[in-house]
Amino acid sequence: MRNIGFSARRERGRGVAAIVGAGLVLALAACGQADDGGTDAGDGGTSAEGEAVTIRFAWWGNEDRAAITNEAVAIFETANPNITVETEYVDFNAYFDRLATTVAAGDAPDVITMGGAYPREYGDRGALLDLAEVAEYLDTSTLDAGALSNGFFSDTQYGVPTGANTYGVVINPAIFEAAGVDLPDQDSWTWDDFAEIAAEISANTPDGTYGAADPTSAEVLDLYLNHQSGHGLYLADGSLNATPELVGDWFTYSSGLMESGATPPATITSELTTQTSPEQSLLGQGLAAMSFGWSNNLGAFREASGQDLILIRVPGDSGPNGSAMWQQASQLYTINAETEHPEAAAQLVDFLVNSTDAADLIGTDRGVPSNETIRAHLSEQGLEPTTQVEFDFLSQVNEFIDGDFVIGPTGSTESAGILTRLNQEVLFARTSPEDAGAAFVTEVTAAIS
Amino acid sequence: MSALRELSTMRRESGRGGPGRRRRGRSAAEKGDNRAAVFFLAPWFIGLFVITAGPLVASLYLSFTDYNLLQDPNWIGWENYVRMFADERLLNSLGVTFTYVLISVPLQLAAALLLAIVLDRGLRGLAIYRSVFYLPSLLGGSVAIAILWRQVFGTNGLVNQFLALLGIEGQGWVSHPDYALGTLMILNVWTFGAPMVIFLAGLRQIPETYYEAAAIDGASRARRFRSITLPLLTPIIFFNLVLQLIGAFQSFTQAFVVSGGTGGPADSTLFYTLYLYQRGFGAFDMGYASAMAWLLLVIIGGMTAVNFFASKFWVFYGD
Repeated sequence: MRNIGFSARRERGRGVAAIVGAGLVLALAACGQADDGGTDAGDGGTSAEGEAVTIRFAWWGNEDRAAITNEAVAIFETANPNITVETEYVDFNAYFDRLATTVAAGDAPDVITMGGAYPREYGDRGALLDLAEVAEYLDTSTLDAGALSNGFFSDTQYGVPTGANTYGVVINPAIFEAAGVDLPDQDSWTWDDFAEIAAEISANTPDGTYGAADPTSAEVLDLYLNHQSGHGLYLADGSLNATPELVGDWFTYSSGLMESGATPPATITSELTTQTSPEQSLLGQGLAAMSFGWSNNLGAFREASGQDLILIRVPGDSGPNGSAMWQQASQLYTINAETEHPEAAAQLVDFLVNSTDAADLIGTDRGVPSNETIRAHLSEQGLEPTTQVEFDFLSQVNEFIDGDFVIGPTGSTESAGILTRLNQEVLFARTSPEDAGAAFVTEVTAAIS
Repeated sequence: MSALRELSTMRRESGRGGPGRRRRGRSAAEKGDNRAAVFFLAPWFIGLFVITAGPLVASLYLSFTDYNLLQDPNWIGWENYVRMFADERLLNSLGVTFTYVLISVPLQLAAALLLAIVLDRGLRGLAIYRSVFYLPSLLGGSVAIAILWRQVFGTNGLVNQFLALLGIEGQGWVSHPDYALGTLMILNVWTFGAPMVIFLAGLRQIPETYYEAAAIDGASRARRFRSITLPLLTPIIFFNLVLQLIGAFQSFTQAFVVSGGTGGPADSTLFYTLYLYQRGFGAFDMGYASAMAWLLLVIIGGMTAVNFFASKFWVFYGD
């Protein structure tokens, strides 16, 4: 009997506790407040020799990458006994959320790996060190100018490229053969050819095998817009080039691929957007003949599928507006503006991009090195077949490069998510390609303004 | 009906901070006890002020700024709050969240009550059943279960394999915008264990004598449930309702994991908290996210107030 009264009392107490619990969401939202105020990066300028320092180095990636990176770091530590490097890594999806919180909390790593438009997001907000301040310890003259420009914006060198990368179509020749379809001629194929070939392969292979995975991504849209209009997503001044009509055309194209059976149904495409590892991709499972992808991921796709996948140039690059092909730094090493040990951090970056010891371990895992001496060194050592394919492709594409890789403006890191979402809306027929094109332009404009 | 009266007296007494507390004077031993109590409560107080109250105030301030995580915040007045009205994704996320709360919470409570009534029959091995049914609510909010859920309802998942046995062609349930939210609701209903245990405790407190008296008067089982069980259980139902409602408004983990942090497909599982997280930590829009957090607090507070007000009309305390 008594317990009814007891639980009725607890009910109030717990109710209040739950309301307080609601505040936890707020607490979460506010925990970024403890920032250290202004930037005072330059004044830790003591000698790099002697004094024992500890720096932190963060990147995204899997365990294989961690193993080779940690080995390289160990060699660095042996060569610089006064420097201890603590390493940390998480997978790509979690990396940038985590970075945002640690930077806001004044607890960011000293050497931060960046990619895409993120260096700009952080650099323009004063979170990254101007590498000119540590030029003494970090030699960037050895690196290809093109790749280096990926880390240069707002008149400042904020990042050092880990290696160069380019975009292409990864092909599974075994599926082409099984479907009785000839490999495309990469010197002349068009976007229409891509659609036709993909549909034919889907038709000639068992259910569940597709000509291509859905090609929609920020990179592909950039190339497509270039082929159609002569400019990519953004203009060099950081403004948006994409128009509602052009983006609408893309959505018409991507939904047309799905309707013809060339690409999988919407549910599968949408399921794959949450499964980002090579093993889970259609290509990695051996269920797609073609998929767009970065050259440095070829090895991972080869391993996942167990097939001798190859890379070819994207369709439409021989059109009137040129190839629009670019090389991009696959990742960039940057240094935290708040670091207490800029020299040590710079030394580590210098080691990672300029030392043959590091190159022997890391190879092309972060793209084909931008340092020519290192590339020559790797070639001399004898390349693994996958690496050889990557090297060859990159040097082949080099001849066709005529597009500048435009780094998206501040806020542009949102565009990939906006594109994926609107593409799903179109594929599930919840909106028309035209409306989605207009929505894309509206939303991205809001994000970058 | 003296038993009922006794019941209500008990409730009122215990509602005032426990019986007998005022009777005793303050002895030296009690003061020592107080010091010990303060000592043991200290971690909680520190937690309250440093982890809850401090950030709460800070987020209120930040909600009036353009704070972007990396630079010092600037005061912008009500701008964040005004922006919300034109933010279609925010309005959509409110729609998603309300749909989720208003459907899954009643279903979850109904399932909990039903199971509690079945288990109240004094089955053999009751403790085991209770544990088995309680288990999901311990696991339900966890990342592991959400990942499992994605697999179970995936294109090649358990559900579709089962449907295939019946000759039905399934589809990717979590990756279709028409069904994704539904699978998350099922996940929430499945975690009925916590309210079930509370219902069970409530059922145990209803005196057998009522049922005996009703049975002698010839009341059917349904009638006994309607006229005895339900009214006497309303305080417990109310308690569970308030708690689960607040919890459901704050759902985050399931949608985050199942949709890979996107709230997809096509924003169909974009819970309010998930969108808040995206704005704050993905888009460097922490001022806006803080304002969103305050709107959520107002919404939850409002819903709870409405609940308490409405409770006057249906919750029976035996008074």
